[in-house]
Amino acid sequence: MGENGAGKSTMMKIVAGMQARDGGEMLWQGQPVNFRSPAEAAANGIAMVHQESLLAPHLSVAENIFLGREERRPFGFVNRRKMQEAAARLIERHGFPLQADWQVGRLSPAGKQLVEICRAIQHGSSLLIFDEPTSSLSDAETAEVFKIVRTLRQRGTGVIYITHRLDELREVGDRVTVLRDGETVHTSDIAELTTDRLIQYMVGREVNAIYRREPLPPGDELLRLEGLSRRPLLQDINLQIRAGEIVGLAGLIGAGRTELCRLIFGLDEADSGQIFVSGRPVRIRSPRDAVREGIALVPEDRQKTGLATGLPLGVNITLASLPAVSRFGFILGRQEREVIARQMERLRVKAESPKQLAGRLSGGNQQKIVIAKWLARGAKVFLFDEPTRGIDVGAKVEVFEVMDRLARSGAGILMVSSELPELLQVADRILVMRQGRIVAELPGRTTQEEIMSYAALAGSVNASQESVQ
Amino acid sequence: MIQRLLPFLTLIALFVGLAIASPHFLTSTNLSSVVRQTAVINIMALGMTLIIISGGIDLSVGAILAMGGLLGAMAMERGASIPVGISIGIVTGMFWGLVNGFLTTRLKINPFIVTLGTLGIVRGLTLIISNGLPVHQLPADFSFLGEGTLFGVPFVLWILLVAAAAVHVMLEHTRLGRYAFAIGSNPDAAFYAGIPVAFHITSVYAIGGMLTGLAGMVEASRLMTGQPTAGQGYELQAIAAVVIGGGSLRGGEGSVIGTLVGAFIMGLLANGSDLLGISPYLQQAIIGGVIILAVTVDELRKRRLPA
Repeated sequence: MGENGAGKSTMMKIVAGMQARDGGEMLWQGQPVNFRSPAEAAANGIAMVHQESLLAPHLSVAENIFLGREERRPFGFVNRRKMQEAAARLIERHGFPLQADWQVGRLSPAGKQLVEICRAIQHGSSLLIFDEPTSSLSDAETAEVFKIVRTLRQRGTGVIYITHRLDELREVGDRVTVLRDGETVHTSDIAELTTDRLIQYMVGREVNAIYRREPLPPGDELLRLEGLSRRPLLQDINLQIRAGEIVGLAGLIGAGRTELCRLIFGLDEADSGQIFVSGRPVRIRSPRDAVREGIALVPEDRQKTGLATGLPLGVNITLASLPAVSRFGFILGRQEREVIARQMERLRVKAESPKQLAGRLSGGNQQKIVIAKWLARGAKVFLFDEPTRGIDVGAKVEVFEVMDRLARSGAGILMVSSELPELLQVADRILVMRQGRIVAELPGRTTQEEIMSYAALAGSVNASQESVQ
Repeated sequence: MIQRLLPFLTLIALFVGLAIASPHFLTSTNLSSVVRQTAVINIMALGMTLIIISGGIDLSVGAILAMGGLLGAMAMERGASIPVGISIGIVTGMFWGLVNGFLTTRLKINPFIVTLGTLGIVRGLTLIISNGLPVHQLPADFSFLGEGTLFGVPFVLWILLVAAAAVHVMLEHTRLGRYAFAIGSNPDAAFYAGIPVAFHITSVYAIGGMLTGLAGMVEASRLMTGQPTAGQGYELQAIAAVVIGGGSLRGGEGSVIGTLVGAFIMGLLANGSDLLGISPYLQQAIIGGVIILAVTVDELRKRRLPA
């Protein structure tokens, strides 16, 4: 365990031969070793399931699983049929919602993660390294991953399991090592360690892991959806968000939560229904329309759609609000700097200067830059899609605080999260989606069990399979 | 920091080295001719800088240069005034820039493919219009554009400086420039931020086309001919200038100063080889090597930055 940037992935990349070390020794089965490539590590029985997908998007699931170790025929031809069959058996054994001949590039992040796992376990390795394997998986899929991990353990395979999630650790782990700033700070049996203690080791200071938001009396209506549909993904969605409110949106992966955000933000078009902003019917056909109506999306995938990581953070902050700080197309330098300074201060962005590249900030600070971009634009309705993904424990609370401050200053927030405890901490009320519909509205002080009882009724297995393709 | 300045230092080193190696280098005749020879590529490369920063590429500029020069020359041959002729060249360039931008953004085809196609189309049309024959009857005063002198320096240097200043200001101080960087750095994030991405990409290609049209008129003026076969291979030189100057073909990086330095490095290499009697065949190989070297050094610099 460890916060982002603690060195977990780097250490494991060294173990798996993907990166070179510049000191120290590694013993493998009693022998000092130095793997210079992943292939060499794999040949010695060490395989890694990567956090970010290292798959070939144009190849099929089967081809990816066997990439680099294809069933060969003479003259270098690949025995495709045999590969397909082997892959299909593997997938079936674990009950993954995959098909051997699907193209990997069209899979959801969860689907890709499952392919990564298949790829690692088919090697028959004696040490498997999982780098946050469940960060994009639904609960059912996560349970399957746990089952795989336990099976592997029973067969005598060693498992190193990197995770952010404290509850996961207790489900699968025996011993834990905590890294901080590239150093080992603690190793012990998990059973000996309280959660608070563990967090303290990770952040190096005491953190209140349990955040509780004081709800506000809600103000005027900001966003209302009436009968919004995009069949078959979304059907007859009705919801209302008022100023000062944080509305949680729960559901399994594939229930339509992200799709709903995309629809509201104009990335997809509805085939029926109406969106109202501040009581006014509006037509939103592109992000540009949405932004004009004061709607902001804080996307799940910050690096891909939220930030220009190669540009200075200041540039990112004013990206959506340049017209306000320019005249006749020319940017007014002083006014722009003021906006940047104001937003950085307001969100307490930790950075050397506005010129620092956005990509070099921590996950939490990157998230703040995305939020700052929308604040500078004067957005009123915020769609947060998995706002704490890839953000370490200490910074999570900070993100919640930012959301709370947004709400207090009159914004309305729709928060999509797969982390039920987080929804329960932050949201004033929680909408539960299943198979493209909102099936329940629960008060903020509900329970995980209650939410799950609505989110995962019989028949939802199909929905999650659809989502993987 | 040293590595960021490397193209600049290379240019200075080349300059000093050539001044020592050849007595003919530091003469005003020779330096003027370097400026004149480099100006055409330089002006094109300014537009290419914008395009590459926005994550695009334009392989059709050599052909556009020829058509711009040809149509401008044909207009003047038929009695149009010099300013009108030059304007026709520029507008021709802008038109094809708009076509490139339109095809890239509306059909969502990779700009490499789009401009590879328009390269063929434009070159072909130019040869059809001219019947493959150059246009010679140009007003004598037209030669001032490419060969004239103002305040003791070649007139093209003034043109280049004005164009460079304009593009620099555009990149660093206007919304268009900022959006070009943003789109080149991450087109999805730009789109999600509500930026009219297609409009700005099209604008960038149009501006690149205008500068190419202008370069076409300079070329026509230097040769005093509207030459339908002009500009072959210029697109690669323009791209090379941008890349040597620190531009990235992945988009989001590049600068006017860098591009000017890059173009002058190539100009000096060519001039120096001539002065030192190095075969033109070897020249090509040397410039090719310099391109790879420059990009390698730049990549190493970026990789060494602390994470």
